[in-house]
Amino acid sequence: MISNFPQLLIDIFDFIFFGFAIAAISSYIILAIISAFETVNYMKKNSFVNYTEILSSSISPSISIIAPAYNESLNIVENVRSLLSNHYVNYDVIIINDGSKDDSLEKLIAAYDLVKVDYLINNQIATKPLRKGVFKSTNPAFEKLIVVDKENGGKADALNFGLNISSNKYVACIDVDCLLLEDALQKMIKPFLESTNEKVIAAGGVIRIANSCKIKDGKLLDINFPKNRILRGQILEYLRAFLLGRMAWSKLNGLLVISGAFGLFDKKIALEVGGYDTKTVGEDMEIIVRMRRYMEEQKVKYRVAYIPDPLCWTEAPDSYKIFISQRNRWTRGTIETLKKHRKIGFNPKYNSLGILSYPYWFFFERLAPIMEIMGLAYFALLIVTNNVIWSYALFFLIIAYLFTVLFSIITIIAEELTYHQYTKKGMGLQLIKTAFTEPILNHPFILYAALKGNFDYYFNKSIKWGEMTRKGMSNN
Amino acid sequence: MLEFLQNSIDTFNNSHPIIQSCIYWTLILIVSIITLIFYLKNLRYKLRIKGRIEATYQKKYESDLIEYLYAGDDININEQQKQIIKYLKKCAENGLKRKIIINTFLRLKDDISGETADAIQNLYYQTGLLDSATTRLKSKKWNTVARAIRELTQFEIKEAHDDIIQLINHPKKEVRNEIQKYLVKLFRFDGLEFLDVLESELSEWDQIQLLEILNKFNNLHIPDIGNWLRSTNQSVVSFALKLAKIYKQFDAKDDIITLFNHPNTEIRVEAINLVTQLGIFEAVEILKKDLFDRNLDEQIAFFKMMEEMSMPDDLAFIEEHVQHENFYIRISVMKIMNLITVDSNNTFTINNADQNYIIDKNLTIAS
Repeated sequence: MISNFPQLLIDIFDFIFFGFAIAAISSYIILAIISAFETVNYMKKNSFVNYTEILSSSISPSISIIAPAYNESLNIVENVRSLLSNHYVNYDVIIINDGSKDDSLEKLIAAYDLVKVDYLINNQIATKPLRKGVFKSTNPAFEKLIVVDKENGGKADALNFGLNISSNKYVACIDVDCLLLEDALQKMIKPFLESTNEKVIAAGGVIRIANSCKIKDGKLLDINFPKNRILRGQILEYLRAFLLGRMAWSKLNGLLVISGAFGLFDKKIALEVGGYDTKTVGEDMEIIVRMRRYMEEQKVKYRVAYIPDPLCWTEAPDSYKIFISQRNRWTRGTIETLKKHRKIGFNPKYNSLGILSYPYWFFFERLAPIMEIMGLAYFALLIVTNNVIWSYALFFLIIAYLFTVLFSIITIIAEELTYHQYTKKGMGLQLIKTAFTEPILNHPFILYAALKGNFDYYFNKSIKWGEMTRKGMSNN
Repeated sequence: MLEFLQNSIDTFNNSHPIIQSCIYWTLILIVSIITLIFYLKNLRYKLRIKGRIEATYQKKYESDLIEYLYAGDDININEQQKQIIKYLKKCAENGLKRKIIINTFLRLKDDISGETADAIQNLYYQTGLLDSATTRLKSKKWNTVARAIRELTQFEIKEAHDDIIQLINHPKKEVRNEIQKYLVKLFRFDGLEFLDVLESELSEWDQIQLLEILNKFNNLHIPDIGNWLRSTNQSVVSFALKLAKIYKQFDAKDDIITLFNHPNTEIRVEAINLVTQLGIFEAVEILKKDLFDRNLDEQIAFFKMMEEMSMPDDLAFIEEHVQHENFYIRISVMKIMNLITVDSNNTFTINNADQNYIIDKNLTIAS
C-alpha cells in the first residue's frame, strides 16, 4: 500500500491537471460555438437597424459621457474634441480632472473657453471634494462640455463624482484617451431601448487596439497592424475575448465584466448599488457584479448587454513592463471582486450568475494561472524524479499548442466574416503568424503577471493601480 | 523512403493506444489549421474583390437604367427597352444581383422626381421585382420576409398592405418593426391602425423610430388617440402619451387623468409629466390628494410639474417640502419659491438669501 502511494499521488495529479485542461478546452469550444451562432444572429438582425432616426430624435434618451482624467495633459484637448464629435443628439461630456498635477485643466480652460460656474450636484455617493470647481464653456459650440476639477481619489472616485453630477438617465463611463467612434452611443443605447421584457442595466462594447492606427482630430483614419510583438499578441487576444467569449456570455446573460474603457450604464441602478467601489483596482468588473447581484436580490428580470461592433479604440501597453503591470492589476481586480461577492458563487439563488458565470470566472480566470504554474511545477518534479513518459508529455504539449493556434485562426476567420477591420494586403499573414507566435511570446508574460498579481494581492497590499505611460494615439 | 514509412507505421501500430490517439489528434489539428489558413486566404481574397464586383455590376445596371429611361417615349416601350427589361429580369433571379439592381433603382429614384421616377417605379413592376418581393413575404425565413417588407416600403407599394398587415403579430420583432415602418411611412397616421391589434410590446426604440417618421410629414390629421390611451398594451399607452405630448392632444385630458392610477409606474409618471405640456390645471388638486401615497418617481414628477403649474395658493403646501430628503424635490421646491434659478445647463444662481432657508446646505455649490 505504502509502496503504491507515490504512484497514487501521480495518478491523482494527472487526473486533476488533465481534467482541468479538458474542462478549459471544452468551455472554450462551447463558448466559441455559442458566440458564432449569436454573432450571425446579431449581424442578421443588425442589418435591419436604422440608426439615423435615433440620432435626430428629440425624445432619444439623454446620455452623459463620464471621462476621468489624471495627468493627461499631453492629449487632453484632442481627446475631449473626439468625445464632443459624437453624432448622438442628446448627450453631454463630463471630464473629471482627478487632481492632476500637470496643466490638464489650464489647457482645457484655454482650449474650450471655460469659466467656473455654480453647478447642481446631487451628492448621492461620497467622493473626494472639488478642488477648483466646475467649469462650463462660454462658447455655445462646446455647450455639451462640463469639466470638473476635484481632489485626487482614483478612477472609481472620479467616476462616482461623474455619477453625482450627471443629470442624464444613462452614463457612458470611458477612459478619456479612448477613441469613441461617432456612432458608438446610438449603438450602445439600442439594447436599453429595445428591450421590453427585461431591464438592461449595462452594456459593453468591443475594445480594439489603436496603436499604429492613423488618427487625426479624434477620428480613426486608417487601421494598421503594429510591428510590436506585444501589441500583435494583444490584438489577437482581444479578438478572441470579444468575438469568441463575451458574445457567448451575453447570450447566456452571464457577462461579469464590461471593459472600463467603454461601458454604458443605467444611472439609477448604478447609484442604487452605491456607484463604483473605490477600494478595488478592478472597479469595472466589481460594479457589474454588484449591479447584477442587486438585480438578482431584487428579483427583477435584467440583462447586461453586449455590442460586438468595434466602437472604441484604445492605446494598449507596448512594453513588457507596462503590460505586466496592467495584467497584474486585472488579476488583483478579479481576485478582489470574486472574493467580495463570494456569496454568489455556486449559489442557485443567483441563477446563471451563481451557477454559471461565477464558477467559470473562478475556475478559468481566477484559478487558471495557478493551475498552470502548479502543472509546470509538477512537470518539473516528474522530470527530477524521472517519472516523465516523454512521448505522452511531448504530445500533450503539441496538442495544447496546436489547439491554441487553431482557436486563434478561428478567431481571425470570425473577425473576417464579421467586421473585417484588418483589410490591407499582408495583414492576414501577419495575423496568422501572430497566432503561431503569441502562445510562446506573450503567454509566458501573461502567466507571470497573473502570478505576480496573486502575490501582490496577498503579500503586497500597498500596490494599487500601477503605471500606464501614454504616448498618445494622435501621435501614431 | 518506403522503408521509413513502413517503420513508422509499424511503430504506430505497436505504440500504446493513448499515443495512437495523440497522433490522430495532432494530425487532425494540423490538417484543420492548414485547411483554415487556406480558407482564410481565400476568404480575404473574396472579401477584397467583392467590393469591386459589386461596383462593376452597379455601374452596369446604372447604365442600363439610364439607357432604358432615355430610350423610349413616355407612352410605349420599344424593343431596346424590352431587351433591357428582359436582361434585368434575368439578373434579378440571382440574390446578390437583385440586391444591386434594387439599390441602383432606389438611388436614382431618390435623386430624381416626376415622370422619370415613375418610369423607375414601372420598371420595378416590369422586371418582376414586385412579384419577387410579394412572394418572399411568404418565406419561412424571417430575414427574407423583413427584407421584402423593407423593399416594398422603399418602393412605396401600397397594394401590399393587406398581405403585410396580416403579419403584424409575427414572432420576430425585426419583421414587426419593418411592418410598422411600412405602415407609418406609407399611410402616415392611418398606418397606426396596427396599434389596435398589436399583441406584442412596442419598444422605446420602435416608438422613437415611428415618431421620427411621422415627424417628417406636416399638416396631418391626427386621429383620436383615446383608444390607445385606454389600451391594455402598456407600450401602446406609452406611445399614445408621446403622441399626445408631441401633437398637443388637449382633448385627451380625461384619459390622461385616468392614467394617474394606471398599474404601471412609468405610465403614471409619463402621464404626470404630460400635465404641464397640456396645461391640465385640474390635475394639480387630484394629484395633491394622494401625493404621498405615490412612489418617489411620481412625487418628483409632481414637483417638477409644479415648477410650471403652481399658483400662489400652492406655496404653503410647497414650502413644507423645502427640506425634503430627495434632491430633485428640494430643487423643484426652491425653484418654485424663487430661491434659486437653474438654467438649462444645470448651473444655478441664488436669488434670495432668505435667512429661513440655508441654501448651501441643500445644494452643492461648485464654486
